[in-house]
Amino acid sequence: MPMNYSVPRAWRERKKYYRLEAARCLSCGRVNYPPGPVCRYCGSDKLEKIELIDEKARLITWTVIHVPVEGYEEHRPLIIGIVETLDTKARLLTRIVDAEPSELSRGMILEPVLRRIREDGEAGLIHYAITYRPPIKQV
Amino acid sequence: MVDKPGIVGWGSYIPLNRLPLDEITRVWGFQPEMPSSLNVREKAVAGRDEDSVTMGWEAARNALRRAGIDPSLIGAVWFGTESKPYAVKPSATILAEALGITPVTMASDMEFACRAASEALRISLAAVSSGLVRYALVIGSDTAQANPGDVLEYTAASAATALIVGPGSEAAAVIEDSYTYVTDTPDFWRRAHQPYPLHGEGFTGAPAYFHHIVSAVKGLFEKTGLGPEDFTYAVFHQPNGTFPLRVAKMLGFPKEKVLPGLVTPYIGNSYNSSALIGLSRILDIANPGDTILLAPFGSGAGSDAYAIRVTEKVLEKQTLAPTVDDYLERKKKIDYALYAKHRGLIKRIR
Repeated sequence: MPMNYSVPRAWRERKKYYRLEAARCLSCGRVNYPPGPVCRYCGSDKLEKIELIDEKARLITWTVIHVPVEGYEEHRPLIIGIVETLDTKARLLTRIVDAEPSELSRGMILEPVLRRIREDGEAGLIHYAITYRPPIKQV
Repeated sequence: MVDKPGIVGWGSYIPLNRLPLDEITRVWGFQPEMPSSLNVREKAVAGRDEDSVTMGWEAARNALRRAGIDPSLIGAVWFGTESKPYAVKPSATILAEALGITPVTMASDMEFACRAASEALRISLAAVSSGLVRYALVIGSDTAQANPGDVLEYTAASAATALIVGPGSEAAAVIEDSYTYVTDTPDFWRRAHQPYPLHGEGFTGAPAYFHHIVSAVKGLFEKTGLGPEDFTYAVFHQPNGTFPLRVAKMLGFPKEKVLPGLVTPYIGNSYNSSALIGLSRILDIANPGDTILLAPFGSGAGSDAYAIRVTEKVLEKQTLAPTVDDYLERKKKIDYALYAKHRGLIKRIR
């Protein structure tokens, strides 16, 4: 059974997608998401793992994709946005859910929520990841 | 003897989309009075990017907020559903990982139609009482399936509820006692590889729902010496908006004790979350000293009856997460076409 998305990669990245595991630089203090071996802001390799899952975020910008790549057809229109977490100021590229494009505004507060983002065909893995949506209770 | 275990955190989730049931009447030509005869107005519909795992995740996050515990202290994750995303591969491990509970925990999916999560609750009470685990996470979550055009489509809905069971000294509600009644009764089933369940039409009522719930609740009454007058609230499995009121009358409960926990008229039947979301809504508003009778039911068939006493800790936990009513108020009405898209009912010709 051919897989379009590497199973080892999905396994390796699960904490990044489920818990928003990120890397805080111990030299410059910036938060890297996705985490890497060195800080993308200052090049330091002194990093600590943190999780962003408990933070709300501010919407920076977004776009709407009407013709997505294979595997995402059923989810269209897709809203893809950049958000900045409120405390750690990490910037994430993420899907925005439970909202129409007309309901979004720059600077609005969003909260993280786990969603099913992609299926690898009829028989392959189901991929889950944290996305963002307007809060259940407005803040 | 350790103290009686209880619910240290609770939480629910209802998806955004609601299908007014008149839309099903419009498409399939049922009698217009069908929704009112079921006492259900709308049903909650999971989005294309939701399933029982994602809904269970949000319910469990709300329960964790109310419990105020480190997720890694949970020693069991038991997931009750009849809409597993995988036929083979535990949903419970996905949830345990995504909730920060792994790796030192038990985790498995349970199946008993709508009653699996209630069986998980009974097992959790035993696991906590025995000292096997300090906390157990019970999740009931379903994106209920129904064959389009089947009368079941009116009520098959989506929602989730999670309970964290732990020591009674930390609990918002202590489970004082419980009783279970099961028989082999073929009222509703789904064979392997079949997308939709079949049901025994009139057979789902008297020999299944009513017989098992009445037997479980009467068994609890005989075991404990309690009666309907000893409870502030009563919550029954709610496959529609009328069965719970009828079974309450049979057992001697006035409807005023049932209505606060009756959620199905607003969202439909959420299967493994059906009775538990009623309990969740009552815990959202309960006062210390209140008592709750809880009686879930699952086809196949069985029912559990629980005697629950609310403690003073309930008040400090009620505001720590969104309530069931917060989710009831957050809704977007959709038509049958969008419902078909969200539930994957559109067949592409290739």
